Amino acid sequence: MTRTDALPKTAGAREYGFDLSAPKMLWAVYVTSPHPHARLVSLDTEEARRAPLVRAVLTSKEVLSLLPHREIDEASPLLVAKASRFQGEPVALVAAETLAAARAAARLVKSEWEVQPAFTDIESEFSEWPDRDRMKADPRVNAHVLAHRGDFDRIARSCDLVHEEVYRTPMVAQVPMEPHSCLAKVTGEDWHVRTTTQTPFGLREDLADKLGLPQEKVRVEGTWVGGGFGGKNEALLEAHALLLSKLAGRPVRLALTFREEFLFTRTTQPAVFRMSSCVKGGRLVARRTRLLLDTGASLPGRDFALGFALGFTLGPYRLEAWELEGYALRTNRPPFGPHRAPLAPQCTFAAESHLDSLARRMGVDPIEFRKAHIWTPGEINPFGQEVGPFAAAEALDRAHELEKAWRAELKGAEGTGIGAAVGFWSTGTSSGGEAILRLGPKGLSILQGEREIGTGSIVEGLRAIASSRTGLPREAVRVEYADTSRAPFDSGVWGSRTTIALGRAVEKGCLALLRELAARWSKGGSGARGGKRTGAPVLLFEKREVRVRVGDRVRSLSSLLTRKERREGGILSHGKEYGRSQALDTSLVQEGVLYPYADLIASVHLAQVAIDRSTGAVRVVRYAAFQDAGHVVDPEGYRGQVEGAILMGLGTALTEEGLLTPQGRLLNAGLLDYRVPTIHDVPRELRIEAIEGYLGSGPGGAKGVGEPPIIPVPAAVANAVADATGARVRDLPLTPERVARALGLISSGAPTPAEGKGPARAGGSVG
Amino acid sequence: MPFELLLPRSLEEAWTLLEQGAPGSSMAMAGGTDLLLAMDFRRFAPERVVSLSRLPLDTVEFGEREVRIGSTVPLRTIELDPRVRRALPALSEALAEVGSVQLRHRATLGGNVVRASASSDLLPPLVAMDCRLTISSRKGRRSLSLDEFVESSWRTKLQPGELVEDLRIPTPLPGAYRWQRVRPANDISQVGVAVVRHPTHDGSSAPDWRIVAGGTSPRVQRLRGSESALLSPWPSEEEIAEAAQRAAQEARFATDLRAAEEYRRKLLEALVRSGIESTLERLREGGGR
Repeated sequence: MTRTDALPKTAGAREYGFDLSAPKMLWAVYVTSPHPHARLVSLDTEEARRAPLVRAVLTSKEVLSLLPHREIDEASPLLVAKASRFQGEPVALVAAETLAAARAAARLVKSEWEVQPAFTDIESEFSEWPDRDRMKADPRVNAHVLAHRGDFDRIARSCDLVHEEVYRTPMVAQVPMEPHSCLAKVTGEDWHVRTTTQTPFGLREDLADKLGLPQEKVRVEGTWVGGGFGGKNEALLEAHALLLSKLAGRPVRLALTFREEFLFTRTTQPAVFRMSSCVKGGRLVARRTRLLLDTGASLPGRDFALGFALGFTLGPYRLEAWELEGYALRTNRPPFGPHRAPLAPQCTFAAESHLDSLARRMGVDPIEFRKAHIWTPGEINPFGQEVGPFAAAEALDRAHELEKAWRAELKGAEGTGIGAAVGFWSTGTSSGGEAILRLGPKGLSILQGEREIGTGSIVEGLRAIASSRTGLPREAVRVEYADTSRAPFDSGVWGSRTTIALGRAVEKGCLALLRELAARWSKGGSGARGGKRTGAPVLLFEKREVRVRVGDRVRSLSSLLTRKERREGGILSHGKEYGRSQALDTSLVQEGVLYPYADLIASVHLAQVAIDRSTGAVRVVRYAAFQDAGHVVDPEGYRGQVEGAILMGLGTALTEEGLLTPQGRLLNAGLLDYRVPTIHDVPRELRIEAIEGYLGSGPGGAKGVGEPPIIPVPAAVANAVADATGARVRDLPLTPERVARALGLISSGAPTPAEGKGPARAGGSVG
Repeated sequence: MPFELLLPRSLEEAWTLLEQGAPGSSMAMAGGTDLLLAMDFRRFAPERVVSLSRLPLDTVEFGEREVRIGSTVPLRTIELDPRVRRALPALSEALAEVGSVQLRHRATLGGNVVRASASSDLLPPLVAMDCRLTISSRKGRRSLSLDEFVESSWRTKLQPGELVEDLRIPTPLPGAYRWQRVRPANDISQVGVAVVRHPTHDGSSAPDWRIVAGGTSPRVQRLRGSESALLSPWPSEEEIAEAAQRAAQEARFATDLRAAEEYRRKLLEALVRSGIESTLERLREGGGR
C-alpha cells in the first residue's frame, strides 16, 4: 500500500515550512552571538538599517518597545540584551526584500563583546562526584534529583561484588531534513504564524506567553513537517518572525540555516553516568546511578530531562534496592531539548553496557543474566508500580534464539561479535487530544490540529483506526487540518503518543457515531422504515457512498441523517481522550522530581558487528529488533518507524557527536563533520519483529512506536563490539579512533575512558 | 556576490577570457562542485567564472602506453570505464569513494587537482601513478608532474590565464587505494593511501614502488622511506611490515576534528600494509609481471 502523502511529497507538491511564501513577504535572517558567554558591550545596527532593501531590524530595544508590558527577562530574553548564554544565541534579526539583501545587511551589524569564561565542559569541572553541600551553593545547578529504595550503601558493603564504571555520552542533534522555518503575519489583532511544528497548541500557549497576548489572538497553523524528532516541539523562531512582521507591517519568512540548526536549536547535551551494581549469590541486587547532565542554557525549573531519564538507568530489571541521584547543570551550550526518546538511548547505553560488562565479569551469558532479572507482567517493579502488559521476557527469549543461530553461523570468526540490549519506554498517555468527526454520505472526515511530521501517524494512523472501528475502507476516511482557532485541542506529535491519545480520541468519536446510528436505526431513522436492531451497526462504502448495515439489513446513511445534517454534510461527533497520569510513590523521592512510567514498552535488540582489529573500524552487519507492539495499527508504518529509529540510533552509536573547541565553540556545526547515517550505513540484514498481544492503552491495545526502537541501539552495538574484541568502549560514539584506543592500538588523543575500578570482592572474576 | 558566467566554446576563447582583469578576477570552473561552494563561503569572489564545460576536454583516450583523461570528464564516467578499472585499479578504487554518486556525475579530475585538497582521495593514486598535467594558456602548453603541481589546499603552480587540459597517466599500473573514514560513505577520509607498482625497466631488478598518503597536512605526501623498504618486486612479509612502519614514522600528520595525529599514524600503518598486500594479490591474479 502506498502512503497517501508519498506521491505528492515525492513530486514536491506538499508545502513544507521551508517552502512558505506570501505576497509582499520579507525575508529575515539572524545575527547571532559568536561567543558562548560574553557581555554585549555595544550593538550598532545603523549601517544595516540603511542597507539596500532592508525594511526592519529587530533587537532587544525593539522587542521592549513592541512589548511594553514585558519586563526584560535577563535569564531568557527573546534577543540578547546584556550577555550571551551560548554560541549562536540570537542577538538581532534583519528583514529585507530579498534573502541576499537580508544576509548582506546582517553582516553590517556591528557588535562588541567582552568575552567571559564559558562553562561548556562538565567533565573537566566535575571530574569527581561532587559533594552535596558544594552543589547546594553552586548557582549552576538547575535541578537535583535524589531518590532511593532500600539502602544501597549497606548492600554494597555486604554483597559479593560491586561493579563500578563511568560512561559518557556527547551532544547529539536531531538533524531534521527541513530546517526550522515559519511565515508570520500580523494583521491588526490577529497574530498568525504558519510554521513547521510538532505542537501547534503548545506553540500557541508559548507564543501567547512570550508576546504577552491572550491565546485567542495567536493563531498557529502547522505545515507539513520535514522531520521533527522532538526538535520542533518548542517555539524558537516564531516570536521573532511575528515581532518583525508587526514592526514592518508585512509578512515575514524566517528559516534557519543548517549551521544555525546545530548552534541554537534545543537538543541533547553531554552526560556522565557513574554506574554501580551489586551482586549477591549470582543475582543483581542493587544499583546506583549518579548522573551529571549538561542541560545547556536551560532555565531553572524548566528542566524535564533529569527526573524523566534517571529511571531508565535501572533498566527493566528486578532490584532489591536502588539509588538514583543526578544534577542538571546550566552551561553555556544551547538549552537541552527533547530528542526522540529524550536521553533514553544514552541512559540505556550506560545501563545496558554496564549490565553486559558485569555479566561478562561474572562469566555469565549476558542474555541469560537479563532473562533472570527481567520484569514480567503482574509483578511489582522497583519503583513500586505494578508491571502491566510488557513483552520484554518474550522478546528476550526470541532474541536469545536468534543470537544462538547467528553464533552458530559465525563460528567465533575473528573480529565478529554479537551484542544484545534491552530498553524500555513509557508512552505519554496523560496528555490529551481531541478530534471532530463528520460522517456524511461521501465518507468520514477527521478534523484535528496536527500536521503529519513524517511518521505516518496522522495521514495513515488516524485513518487506520477510524477504518477498523467503523468498517469503512481507508479511502473513505479523510484527515482535515486546521489552525488552532478552528481545530480541537491536541497535545502534539511527540512522546510516541499520537496514535495512542489522538487515535483514542478518533476511536471514541467513531464509537459515539456508531452508537448514535444504532439509536436512530431502532427509532426508524428520520423518515425511514423502522425495524428491530440486531447487533451493532457497521459502515459500508459501496459505489462511493456510505451505507449502514445491521445484521443482514443495509440502508443508506442519508436515510439516518436529519435534514440539517444532510445540508451540513453529515453527522458530527467530538472524540476526546484525556488519559490518566500515573502516580509514583513519593516516599521514594527525597529531592526533585522522578517521573512515573505508564504503558510500558519493551525493545530488545541484537547487533552483529565486524571489526577491523588493525584500525578499530566497526561495521554493523546484521541487526534485529524485537518490539513490544501491543497491537500494530498500520504494519507498513510500523516497520518504517522501527527501521528509521534503528538507523538514527546507529548514528548515535557510531558517528554522531558535537565537538567543541576549548573556548566552547562548536567545531562541526554542519552536515560534513556532524555525521548522520546515510543509506550506505544500513545493515545488510535488518530484521524487525513486532510482538503483539501485550496490550497498551491505545486503540485496539496499540502502544507508542516512534521512540522505543531507538533506545537500545547504541548499547546493542557497544555490547557487540565488546563481544568481538573483549574491549569495552564507554564513550559514545564508537568511532574507529575510540575503538582503536579501547583495543590498545593507540594511547593518547582524546581522554581515555575511565576503567571500572570497583573493589572486586570474593567471588568476583574478571571478564 | 554576483558574477559573470562565461561559456567559451574554444580553448583560444577560454584563454582570452581567463586573462581578463586583475589576477584572480577570472576563475576557471570544471564541475564547480568545489569552486561554487568556496564562493558561497566567500573564500573567492571572482568577477568572471569561465566554465570549461563546452570545451573539447571531456574525453578519455587510451593510447599504447598512457591514458589521457580530459580535465572535465565527470568522475563517474572514469569510474565506470572498464578500461580504467582494469589498467588503473588504484584510481578506480579511489574514484568510487569520492562524495556521492550524484556528486561524481558533476565533479571532475581537473577540478580535483586544482582544488588540491589535503584530504583528496584522488591525489594519492594520481601522484603514485606519476600523473602529468597538460597546462595551457595563450602563451602555449607545458607539461608538469602532478607532484610538482600541487602545493597546498587551493594552491598550485597554475598561473593566471592558465587552465588544465588533461591528465596523462602511464598504463597499466597495478596498485590499490586504501582509506578510512568515520562514516564510510559521504565523508572525508581520515587517511587515504595509494600503493602502486611501476614496471621495472631495462632488465633492472629494482622495483619501482610508490606509496603516497593523503588525509594529511598540508598536502599529499610521497613516502619515499616506505617505498625504499620494498626491495623486490615481490616483497616479503618483513619488507611489507617495514614499509608500513616507516610510512607511519615519516608521514607528516596533524590532529584535527577528524582524527588525532597518533591515530592517523596507526591507521596509515594498517592501510599501507593492506594496500601492498592487495596490490600483490592483484598482480598474482593477473599473472604477475
